[in-house]
Amino acid sequence: MSDEISPVPIEEQEKRWKSYDWKLIPAVAQRPLINMALDEVLTVRVGRGDRPPTIRIWGWANRCIVLGRFQSVKNEVDELAAQENGVEIVRRISGGGAMFIEPEGAITYSIYAPEEMVKGLSFSESYAFFDGWVVESLRSLGVDAWYAPLNDIASSGGKIGGAAQARRGGAVLHHTTMAYQMNVPLMLSVLRIGKEKLSDKGITSADKRVGPLRQQTEMPREEIIDHIVGTFQDKYGLTVGGITAEEMADAEALVESRFGTRKWIYFLP
Amino acid sequence: MHGEYKTPGGKLVRVDFDVVDEHLTDVVVSGDFFLYPEEALEAITQSLFGVSSTASESALAGRIGAAIPAGTEWLGSSPEALAIAVRRALTPESEVNA
Repeated sequence: MSDEISPVPIEEQEKRWKSYDWKLIPAVAQRPLINMALDEVLTVRVGRGDRPPTIRIWGWANRCIVLGRFQSVKNEVDELAAQENGVEIVRRISGGGAMFIEPEGAITYSIYAPEEMVKGLSFSESYAFFDGWVVESLRSLGVDAWYAPLNDIASSGGKIGGAAQARRGGAVLHHTTMAYQMNVPLMLSVLRIGKEKLSDKGITSADKRVGPLRQQTEMPREEIIDHIVGTFQDKYGLTVGGITAEEMADAEALVESRFGTRKWIYFLP
Repeated sequence: MHGEYKTPGGKLVRVDFDVVDEHLTDVVVSGDFFLYPEEALEAITQSLFGVSSTASESALAGRIGAAIPAGTEWLGSSPEALAIAVRRALTPESEVNA
């Protein structure tokens, strides 16, 4: 079991972050399907060495529900309510839970890193490893945040966000979505959040367990994004780049062949 | 039929299936767990096809566990958790609440 491997010391973890020339892809509003496909395209490219390790800040063109890789549509989504409210349904390549996204309501980022970066770390340890700098950044904004295994960024004001990972040909994708502002009534009408999911949380209502960042910081969304990017830059170094035309063409092709197909979205009906 | 189980501190596993002649069919396993590699879901799901609807929790867990390919990492759930979800789906509400 990977749990038996001794943890990699913090100093060694920091050294690993600093050993790469990180590129930033700043937020550009994209269709949800393109966001799904870009994660696949960019992870594969980092694994092949065609692109340096990269952080991407997501932009959203429209409302959507992002299902985890192993979730069933009918168990998670009220499809009629989603359709009535113009909420698109997409499926990502990583596991984890469904997210209801509104363009200005979430802060999402992806980290594309060589798999060697998490050598010696268990899967569980690697989640905390990839989000450590964000927790630090939120704390410097006065948010009482910490990492809650397996994959949550928690705070005394409620859950802030959740992460998920996928691995592809020598690279790790780690992406995290944090709540900035919640449209709770709409979320509850389109997502099915059952009692069993909350059974070990000691609470009875889905909206009480989230502590959106707007409520906790009273800062505009863009300022929070700038702050967390700044934290990364200060700690590990970061230069601004962008998605290449070829990468975008690959993503468009994957939307056609995979992410936009009924076979993928309804992989588990 | 539908059953689910959330591993304390972990993730939710759901199972949907039909029972024909006291055996499970049309099984769908889903949830917000993590699984590497992703293709292992097929083996997990297939392990429940044809299983007797009277199989015990431990027999189910054993069968699911044996079907998982070596090197698979299932985070947040387990064969035992899925076995509980299957038994819950097969147990009438009145017995659960009794």
